[in-house]
Amino acid sequence: MRIEQTTTADETIIRVEGDVDLYSSPELRKAVLKAVPKAATGVGIHLGSVSYMDSSGVATLVEGLRSAKEHGKTLTLVAPSNSVMKVLELARLDSIFAVRSD
Amino acid sequence: MGADDIRLQVSSDPCLLGVIRGVLQVWMEVLGLARGRRDEVVLAVDEACSNAIRHAYGGRTDESIDLVLSASTDWIEIAVSDQGTPCPSECSEYRPLVAPAPHEVVPGGLGVKLIYEVFDEVRFCPGTTSGNCVTMRLHRTAKHEVDGED
Repeated sequence: MRIEQTTTADETIIRVEGDVDLYSSPELRKAVLKAVPKAATGVGIHLGSVSYMDSSGVATLVEGLRSAKEHGKTLTLVAPSNSVMKVLELARLDSIFAVRSD
Repeated sequence: MGADDIRLQVSSDPCLLGVIRGVLQVWMEVLGLARGRRDEVVLAVDEACSNAIRHAYGGRTDESIDLVLSASTDWIEIAVSDQGTPCPSECSEYRPLVAPAPHEVVPGGLGVKLIYEVFDEVRFCPGTTSGNCVTMRLHRTAKHEVDGED
Protein backbone atom coordinates (compact mmCIF):
# COMPACT_ATOMS: atom_id res chain seq x y z
CA MET A 1 0.00 0.00 0.00
CA ARG A 2 1.16 3.53 -0.75
CA ILE A 3 -0.21 6.74 0.72
CA GLU A 4 0.22 10.26 -0.60
CA GLN A 5 -1.18 13.30 1.11
CA THR A 6 -1.91 16.72 -0.35
CA THR A 7 -3.47 19.69 1.36
CA THR A 8 -5.43 22.51 -0.19
CA ALA A 9 -7.03 25.52 1.44
CA ASP A 10 -10.23 23.53 1.91
CA GLU A 11 -9.38 19.91 2.19
CA THR A 12 -6.70 17.33 2.87
CA ILE A 13 -6.62 14.53 0.31
CA ILE A 14 -5.16 11.15 1.27
CA ARG A 15 -4.56 9.11 -1.86
CA VAL A 16 -4.29 5.35 -1.25
CA GLU A 17 -2.95 2.77 -3.65
CA GLY A 18 -2.73 -1.04 -3.37
CA ASP A 19 -4.08 -3.47 -0.78
CA VAL A 20 -5.53 -2.26 2.53
CA ASP A 21 -5.46 -5.19 4.94
CA LEU A 22 -4.40 -6.13 8.45
CA TYR A 23 -0.78 -5.46 7.48
CA SER A 24 -1.22 -2.04 5.93
CA SER A 25 -4.33 -0.55 7.52
CA PRO A 26 -2.51 0.70 10.68
CA GLU A 27 -0.52 3.08 8.46
CA LEU A 28 -3.71 4.39 6.84
CA ARG A 29 -5.39 4.72 10.25
CA LYS A 30 -2.47 6.78 11.53
CA ALA A 31 -2.57 9.06 8.48
CA VAL A 32 -6.33 9.59 8.64
CA LEU A 33 -6.51 10.24 12.37
CA LYS A 34 -3.60 12.68 12.12
CA ALA A 35 -5.05 14.52 9.12
CA VAL A 36 -8.62 14.98 10.39
CA PRO A 37 -8.00 17.50 13.21
CA LYS A 38 -5.60 19.52 11.05
CA ALA A 39 -7.78 19.71 7.95
CA ALA A 40 -9.43 23.03 7.17
CA THR A 41 -12.88 21.65 6.46
CA GLY A 42 -12.39 17.95 5.99
CA VAL A 43 -10.51 14.99 4.59
CA GLY A 44 -11.04 13.20 1.29
CA ILE A 45 -9.72 9.66 1.07
CA HIS A 46 -9.05 8.82 -2.56
CA LEU A 47 -9.63 5.09 -2.97
CA GLY A 48 -9.67 4.77 -6.75
CA SER A 49 -6.46 2.72 -6.85
CA VAL A 50 -7.24 0.41 -3.94
CA SER A 51 -7.12 -3.15 -5.24
CA TYR A 52 -8.31 -4.82 -2.03
CA MET A 53 -9.80 -3.79 1.30
CA ASP A 54 -10.61 -6.00 4.30
CA SER A 55 -12.60 -5.29 7.45
CA SER A 56 -9.62 -3.59 9.11
CA GLY A 57 -9.63 -1.11 6.23
CA VAL A 58 -13.37 -0.61 6.66
CA ALA A 59 -12.85 -0.10 10.41
CA THR A 60 -10.24 2.54 9.59
CA LEU A 61 -12.72 4.43 7.41
CA VAL A 62 -15.37 4.20 10.14
CA GLU A 63 -12.92 5.45 12.73
CA GLY A 64 -12.00 8.33 10.44
CA LEU A 65 -15.66 9.22 10.00
CA ARG A 66 -16.24 9.23 13.76
CA SER A 67 -13.17 11.38 14.31
CA ALA A 68 -14.30 13.82 11.63
CA LYS A 69 -17.69 14.19 13.31
CA GLU A 70 -16.05 14.75 16.68
CA HIS A 71 -13.90 17.51 15.20
CA GLY A 72 -16.70 19.11 13.19
CA LYS A 73 -15.03 18.13 9.90
CA THR A 74 -16.14 16.10 6.88
CA LEU A 75 -14.78 12.80 5.65
CA THR A 76 -15.45 11.89 2.03
CA LEU A 77 -14.55 8.79 0.05
CA VAL A 78 -13.26 9.88 -3.35
CA ALA A 79 -13.72 7.65 -6.39
CA PRO A 80 -13.77 4.39 -4.42
CA SER A 81 -12.78 1.38 -6.52
CA ASN A 82 -15.12 -1.54 -7.15
CA SER A 83 -13.23 -3.56 -4.53
CA VAL A 84 -13.86 -0.92 -1.89
CA MET A 85 -17.52 -0.52 -2.77
CA LYS A 86 -17.99 -4.29 -2.74
CA VAL A 87 -16.74 -4.71 0.84
CA LEU A 88 -18.70 -1.65 2.03
CA GLU A 89 -21.85 -3.10 0.44
CA LEU A 90 -21.24 -6.54 1.93
CA ALA A 91 -20.77 -4.90 5.34
CA ARG A 92 -23.97 -2.80 4.81
CA LEU A 93 -21.91 0.32 5.40
CA ASP A 94 -21.99 1.84 1.92
CA SER A 95 -24.68 4.37 2.84
CA ILE A 96 -22.95 5.91 5.86
CA PHE A 97 -20.15 7.56 3.88
CA ALA A 98 -20.25 10.62 1.69
CA VAL A 99 -18.88 9.56 -1.70
CA ARG A 100 -17.87 11.65 -4.68
CA SER A 101 -16.23 10.95 -8.00
CA ASP A 102 -12.80 12.32 -8.94
CA MET B 1 -9.29 -34.88 3.00
CA GLY B 2 -9.06 -35.63 -0.69
CA ALA B 3 -6.07 -36.33 -2.89
CA ASP B 4 -6.56 -33.04 -4.70
CA ASP B 5 -6.62 -30.94 -1.55
CA ILE B 6 -4.16 -28.09 -1.28
CA ARG B 7 -2.49 -27.57 2.06
CA LEU B 8 -0.75 -24.39 3.05
CA GLN B 9 1.14 -23.57 6.19
CA VAL B 10 1.87 -19.87 6.52
CA SER B 11 3.52 -17.86 9.28
CA SER B 12 1.16 -15.68 11.26
CA ASP B 13 2.72 -12.54 9.81
CA PRO B 14 0.20 -10.06 8.38
CA CYS B 15 2.59 -9.27 5.55
CA LEU B 16 1.89 -12.78 4.19
CA LEU B 17 -1.88 -12.34 3.95
CA GLY B 18 -1.45 -11.10 0.38
CA VAL B 19 0.27 -14.38 -0.52
CA ILE B 20 -2.69 -16.38 0.83
CA ARG B 21 -5.10 -14.20 -1.13
CA GLY B 22 -3.08 -14.75 -4.29
CA VAL B 23 -3.09 -18.54 -3.89
CA LEU B 24 -6.85 -18.54 -3.28
CA GLN B 25 -7.51 -16.43 -6.37
CA VAL B 26 -5.51 -18.74 -8.63
CA TRP B 27 -7.04 -21.89 -7.11
CA MET B 28 -10.60 -20.66 -7.65
CA GLU B 29 -9.79 -19.39 -11.13
CA VAL B 30 -8.60 -22.90 -12.03
CA LEU B 31 -11.85 -24.26 -10.58
CA GLY B 32 -13.81 -21.90 -12.81
CA LEU B 33 -15.44 -19.64 -10.23
CA ALA B 34 -16.55 -16.23 -11.42
CA ARG B 35 -14.43 -13.24 -10.44
CA GLY B 36 -17.03 -11.63 -8.20
CA ARG B 37 -17.51 -14.80 -6.20
CA ARG B 38 -13.76 -15.37 -5.94
CA ASP B 39 -13.31 -11.89 -4.49
CA GLU B 40 -15.92 -12.56 -1.82
CA VAL B 41 -14.36 -15.89 -0.83
CA VAL B 42 -10.90 -14.31 -0.70
CA LEU B 43 -12.24 -11.59 1.60
CA ALA B 44 -13.90 -14.07 3.98
CA VAL B 45 -10.87 -16.37 4.18
CA ASP B 46 -8.62 -13.36 4.70
CA GLU B 47 -10.85 -12.38 7.62
CA ALA B 48 -10.48 -15.87 9.13
CA CYS B 49 -6.68 -15.65 8.85
CA SER B 50 -6.64 -12.13 10.27
CA ASN B 51 -8.72 -13.32 13.22
CA ALA B 52 -6.17 -16.08 13.88
CA ILE B 53 -3.35 -13.53 13.89
CA ARG B 54 -5.14 -10.89 15.97
CA HIS B 55 -7.15 -12.94 18.42
CA ALA B 56 -5.73 -16.47 18.66
CA TYR B 57 -2.07 -15.40 18.48
CA GLY B 58 -2.47 -11.90 19.94
CA GLY B 59 -0.48 -10.41 17.06
CA ARG B 60 2.50 -12.79 17.34
CA THR B 61 4.03 -13.21 13.89
CA ASP B 62 6.09 -16.37 14.47
CA GLU B 63 3.21 -18.84 14.82
CA SER B 64 1.56 -20.75 12.01
CA ILE B 65 -1.77 -20.79 10.21
CA ASP B 66 -2.84 -23.91 8.33
CA LEU B 67 -5.21 -23.84 5.38
CA VAL B 68 -6.76 -26.79 3.54
CA LEU B 69 -8.49 -26.02 0.25
CA SER B 70 -10.87 -28.73 -1.02
CA ALA B 71 -13.29 -28.85 -3.91
CA SER B 72 -15.83 -31.11 -5.55
CA THR B 73 -18.23 -30.51 -8.40
CA ASP B 74 -20.81 -29.40 -5.83
CA TRP B 75 -18.83 -27.28 -3.37
CA ILE B 76 -15.59 -25.68 -2.40
CA GLU B 77 -14.39 -25.81 1.18
CA ILE B 78 -11.64 -23.96 3.01
CA ALA B 79 -10.49 -24.81 6.53
CA VAL B 80 -8.35 -22.34 8.47
CA SER B 81 -6.79 -23.50 11.72
CA ASP B 82 -4.35 -22.19 14.30
CA GLN B 83 -2.76 -23.38 17.52
CA GLY B 84 -3.41 -20.22 19.48
CA THR B 85 -5.79 -19.29 22.27
CA PRO B 86 -9.28 -20.71 21.75
CA CYS B 87 -11.72 -17.95 20.96
CA PRO B 88 -14.83 -17.70 23.16
CA SER B 89 -17.80 -19.28 21.44
CA GLU B 90 -19.77 -16.03 21.54
CA CYS B 91 -17.16 -14.47 19.25
CA SER B 92 -18.00 -16.92 16.48
CA GLU B 93 -21.78 -16.90 16.77
CA TYR B 94 -23.84 -15.97 13.76
CA ARG B 95 -24.93 -12.35 13.75
CA PRO B 96 -26.59 -10.92 10.66
CA LEU B 97 -25.14 -7.92 8.91
CA VAL B 98 -27.57 -5.04 9.17
CA ALA B 99 -27.13 -1.45 8.09
CA PRO B 100 -26.58 0.60 11.26
CA ALA B 101 -27.97 4.04 11.89
CA PRO B 102 -25.24 6.65 11.29
CA HIS B 103 -24.85 7.40 15.01
CA GLU B 104 -24.55 3.68 15.82
CA VAL B 105 -21.66 2.91 13.49
CA VAL B 106 -18.65 1.55 15.34
CA PRO B 107 -15.37 0.30 13.92
CA GLY B 108 -14.57 -3.42 14.12
CA GLY B 109 -16.51 -6.64 14.67
CA LEU B 110 -17.09 -7.31 10.98
CA GLY B 111 -14.82 -10.27 10.23
CA VAL B 112 -16.98 -13.16 11.47
CA LYS B 113 -20.11 -11.53 10.06
CA LEU B 114 -18.50 -11.35 6.63
CA ILE B 115 -17.52 -15.04 6.83
CA TYR B 116 -21.15 -16.00 7.49
CA GLU B 117 -22.32 -13.61 4.78
CA VAL B 118 -20.14 -15.13 2.06
CA PHE B 119 -20.29 -18.87 2.80
CA ASP B 120 -23.28 -21.23 2.82
CA GLU B 121 -21.97 -23.33 5.71
CA VAL B 122 -19.62 -22.20 8.49
CA ARG B 123 -18.37 -24.31 11.38
CA PHE B 124 -16.21 -22.86 14.14
CA CYS B 125 -14.42 -25.43 16.30
CA PRO B 126 -12.39 -23.85 19.08
CA GLY B 127 -10.10 -26.29 20.89
CA THR B 128 -10.54 -27.01 24.58
CA THR B 129 -7.04 -25.93 25.58
CA SER B 130 -5.55 -24.52 22.40
CA GLY B 131 -6.28 -23.92 18.77
CA ASN B 132 -9.19 -22.93 16.60
CA CYS B 133 -10.53 -24.16 13.30
CA VAL B 134 -13.12 -22.64 11.03
CA THR B 135 -14.42 -24.64 8.06
CA MET B 136 -16.21 -22.68 5.37
CA ARG B 137 -18.16 -24.27 2.54
CA LEU B 138 -19.65 -22.67 -0.56
CA HIS B 139 -22.20 -24.58 -2.60
CA ARG B 140 -21.35 -24.33 -6.27
CA THR B 141 -24.21 -23.23 -8.46
CA ALA B 142 -24.27 -22.08 -12.06
CA LYS B 143 -24.19 -18.43 -10.99
CA HIS B 144 -20.86 -18.98 -9.24
CA GLU B 145 -19.12 -20.32 -12.31
CA VAL B 146 -17.27 -18.22 -14.85
CA ASP B 147 -19.83 -16.27 -16.81
CA GLY B 148 -17.68 -13.89 -18.73
CA GLU B 149 -15.91 -12.62 -15.63
CA ASP B 150 -18.55 -10.56 -13.80
